Amino acid sequence: MSPQIEEVGLSTTAERAAVVGAAGSTPDKDWVIVTRGLKREYDMGGEIVRALRGVDLAIRRNEYVAIMGPSGSGKSTFMNLVGCLDTPNAGEYWLSGQLVSTFKDDELARVRNKEIGFVFQTFNLLPRASALHNVELPLVYAGIGSAERKERAMEALTKVQLDNRASHRPNELSGGQRQRVAIARALVNRPAILLADEPTGNLDSTTSEEIMKVFETLANTGQTVIMVTHEPDIAQHARRVVVLRDGLIASDTKREAFSAKLVGL
Amino acid sequence: MRRISIAQLRENIEIAFDALRASKLRSGLTILGVVIGVSTVMTMATIVQGVRDQILNTIQVAGPTTFYVIKVFQTTPVNPDNLPKWIRIRPDISAEEADRIAALPQIEYAGIWAQIQLRLEYQGARTQSIAGFGSDERYQEIQGGELIAGRWFTKAELRGGAPVIVIQEAQALRIFGRIDPLGKTIVAGGRPVQVVGIYAPPANIFAPPGQEVGAVFPYQFVLHSYHIDKTNSLFICIKPKAGVSVADAMDAVTIEMRSIRKLRPADHDNFDLMSQSQILDTFTSITDIFFFVMLVLASVALMVGGIGVMAIMMVSVTARTREIGVRKALGATRRDIMLQFLIEAATLTGIGGLLGILVGLTAGRGVTYLMNINASTPIGLTLVAVAVSVAIGLVFGVLPARRAARMDPVEALRYE
Repeated sequence: MSPQIEEVGLSTTAERAAVVGAAGSTPDKDWVIVTRGLKREYDMGGEIVRALRGVDLAIRRNEYVAIMGPSGSGKSTFMNLVGCLDTPNAGEYWLSGQLVSTFKDDELARVRNKEIGFVFQTFNLLPRASALHNVELPLVYAGIGSAERKERAMEALTKVQLDNRASHRPNELSGGQRQRVAIARALVNRPAILLADEPTGNLDSTTSEEIMKVFETLANTGQTVIMVTHEPDIAQHARRVVVLRDGLIASDTKREAFSAKLVGL
Repeated sequence: MRRISIAQLRENIEIAFDALRASKLRSGLTILGVVIGVSTVMTMATIVQGVRDQILNTIQVAGPTTFYVIKVFQTTPVNPDNLPKWIRIRPDISAEEADRIAALPQIEYAGIWAQIQLRLEYQGARTQSIAGFGSDERYQEIQGGELIAGRWFTKAELRGGAPVIVIQEAQALRIFGRIDPLGKTIVAGGRPVQVVGIYAPPANIFAPPGQEVGAVFPYQFVLHSYHIDKTNSLFICIKPKAGVSVADAMDAVTIEMRSIRKLRPADHDNFDLMSQSQILDTFTSITDIFFFVMLVLASVALMVGGIGVMAIMMVSVTARTREIGVRKALGATRRDIMLQFLIEAATLTGIGGLLGILVGLTAGRGVTYLMNINASTPIGLTLVAVAVSVAIGLVFGVLPARRAARMDPVEALRYE
């Protein structure tokens, strides 16, 4: 596996800037995500907090990337930007060839609906809706008719082996099952990226493994997966690990190299 | 802007019902104002409608062709002790005029009638103040109803103004109980009279131009024994022959009255004609005012209800911040969220409106049942009530819905 370790060399700012390309230029089709000098600052009662200080990152289609970092590293802010829930103060964010950093509220809603599938730490299922209806939601906002919605939601539930729990409400499901419903919901509109925020944070280790296997399978079938986590043993399931520190990328490594480093620690 | 599709509407109504089921008590209290406002309007409307139907019914019974000659036709009775000059100079209606009109070829019946207020007493039992008519033996033919015992007046009794009386069944029951009233002497308005007949009025409470009639006397007796308000309560009741239109009959009566009173062509009529449709118009103008006052009161109630809905929707939006965040993350636009909460508010008030209609109709039915009149459902108003309730939800839901729509998804998702 030594040739891949050669590719690890994205650890300097200059190298990363070279990969993401010049500001304003449309990225190559192969890149599903490109950020250029992404900055995000918050005004916390007069004090400016610089959560992201210029992040250059490019992610290819079909990649399985973990984003790590201690709390305060800016990883949550970065995830919100990547998930189009928030807009940067400066820099560019290209998603599937669109410069989404310039988009307004409702355009962002459309992008979230079409391009992004969210998986949250706390599942965020609607408690009073059945598993099937929860999975249907993105299709509701995509304006898809009831019959097709049900069919596609059922398909997605089958993918996570929960087709036999379709009519159950979240409180009638185990934690692992709930997260699988959430994954089905994230996948149902065939998004460009699956964006998972601490997906195993509320699960025990056995269930965590089970969920990580689901991500593994999805990544193997060509789904782009981006996972934000602070747990190294979860991150090591990904094939590439980006570490943020103080609002900047500290390292960007392929899995083998990352594992080696862990061993080295 | 996209149009709202039926599917979208249905989807949102389902969401709304779900949210309402989740907090039944709170929802119930929220819509109370709307329920009260709408039910008040519906109750009153049912009663008014019932009364109006009853008047129409009376006209049907009396024959819609019956009309009256009266000294002065006013929407409200004039004070007989303080008449304006133009009324004071008018002559009183007289029995001779009635006889002359009765002789016209177009006229089937014309008789002078006087209305008085009095109490009936028999051995200590007495009625409330009721209306009595001085009329003749054809009273029942004009007013409807039926004689259930005894007889109407003889020609001799009518001519001589004999102290005889035909009393209404309910009044008879009140003062006689199980005693047979026929032939008994009662005290009517301070004068002894003999009961010769019992009659049942038609199944309604309105007899133009007055209220429920409890007793009928020969006109001459009333004229000589009681004080008659000759301005408001004395009139000639006229029924045209079959095949003669009311307009033609009224023309003939006007000409005859002018000739009796020797009016020159330039003189104005010094009497008024009053037809059933005019009575109905008068009643309608009164009920219209009534309706207007009611609407103002109901608007206040609905306003209060609307503000309640707004407050509760604000609470609901805050409580469901997380849900709003999730929906936004999954691709709901501001418009989608706005629509969801607007429809929820409208569903809430719409249900309130429906409940109000049910309560109001039931209460209205109850009251009209007690008043012994048949009430039909005011369908038009029911539809308006539903529309208004829904509109209140939409109007008062705007603020909370906007707040929900403008939430920042990041903060909404982080909300605990």
